[in-house]
Amino acid sequence: MKKNILVADDDIDVITFVSTVLEKIGYKVTGAKDGEEALSKIKGNKPDLIILDILMPKQSGIKMYRELKTDESLKDIPVVILSAISKRTFLRSQEALTEFGGEAVPEPEVYIEKPVEPEDLAQTVKEVLSKKGG
Amino acid sequence: MKIRKLLFVTDFEELWFDALQSLMDLRKVGLEHVIFLHVIEREKVAMRRGVGYLKDEEVKLREMTNVRFVDWAESLFETGMECGAYILVGSPVPKVLSVANEEKADLIVTGAHKDKETIEILRRAPIPVLVHKYGIKKSERPFERPIFVTDWSPPCERALEYLISLNNIVSKAIVIHAIPEKSIKGLNRIEIQKMQKENKRRLEEVCDTLSSEGISSEFHLYMGEVTEQIKKAISEHNASMIVAGTTGKGAWRARWLGSVSHELVQESELPILLVPKVG
Repeated sequence: MKKNILVADDDIDVITFVSTVLEKIGYKVTGAKDGEEALSKIKGNKPDLIILDILMPKQSGIKMYRELKTDESLKDIPVVILSAISKRTFLRSQEALTEFGGEAVPEPEVYIEKPVEPEDLAQTVKEVLSKKGG
Repeated sequence: MKIRKLLFVTDFEELWFDALQSLMDLRKVGLEHVIFLHVIEREKVAMRRGVGYLKDEEVKLREMTNVRFVDWAESLFETGMECGAYILVGSPVPKVLSVANEEKADLIVTGAHKDKETIEILRRAPIPVLVHKYGIKKSERPFERPIFVTDWSPPCERALEYLISLNNIVSKAIVIHAIPEKSIKGLNRIEIQKMQKENKRRLEEVCDTLSSEGISSEFHLYMGEVTEQIKKAISEHNASMIVAGTTGKGAWRARWLGSVSHELVQESELPILLVPKVG
């Protein structure tokens, strides 16, 4: 059975790019254009992996990541961040939110700063899913 | 009435990141989410005879905007602020209103140099609009010493409530009312003095309300041509911002959006926060 991957990105070109790369190697890809839509889709049909952008309308990837990692039923889904926002900023923002009283959250499985080469993306997804027993 | 989410509209002519940073005092009163919006005007990329749609130009403009927004977002994210961004192609006013609605923003911040668009946003926005003048006068703390202009209408009462919700960041509010010149036409001296007395009493009441909410304030009464009097009050009392109410319809709107606010948006060096009536 095909593994399900959800891509959350407000840039339709990115969703198309990721879908093309990953569908070619046998995965089923669903797109979401912002954090709110992504969370709603994830709750409706739990994916095997999430590829997450950070700077999105309605809800950023930073907030969405916290919601995922503090939800008992979702926190085990591996997350690959694919964003123009730097990893340093992501980690600092999570620290800041933890300082403001939020729960500490683990680092994402992989953090890729855009742009990404198709082969690297495919390889990363394969590795992350194989670590999770896929 | 809380400002939780702010929509920051920029065309990179007047409002840059320093202008946004000057509004970060709003964090003390609940701001937690900033949305950046840049609208690429359709004319810049529209179909042209012989060349068609300028797709390369659109890509270039999007990337130029994106690099700024990513930079701004990184700065805000690192402080624990939530951020989002829109880069859209189209007509600015409808795009601003639609993003404000979609994002359920509590405040729109826009510049003033594109006068017609700004006035149109003020006319149509159902939420408060701050016309920031940061490119003209760089005030690091615009909320510090606001001048609250009232004509005693219900929208002004709402603007007062809004001002009260900013209590943690307002050092002193200046409350003014300008008796319009035409309203004293034909009145004798005693009648004019009675009118002054009554307006002073009402101004005192506003100051008492502000004081009970922990905002220090003072009031001043003016009489004459309203816009001119407001401009005098601004310079006399070293104000940092203008706060006023505006209705969607009727005389106040005509007066404010037809002349007073229009003139102030054009001429004042201060940011102007206009609060519309409910609904």
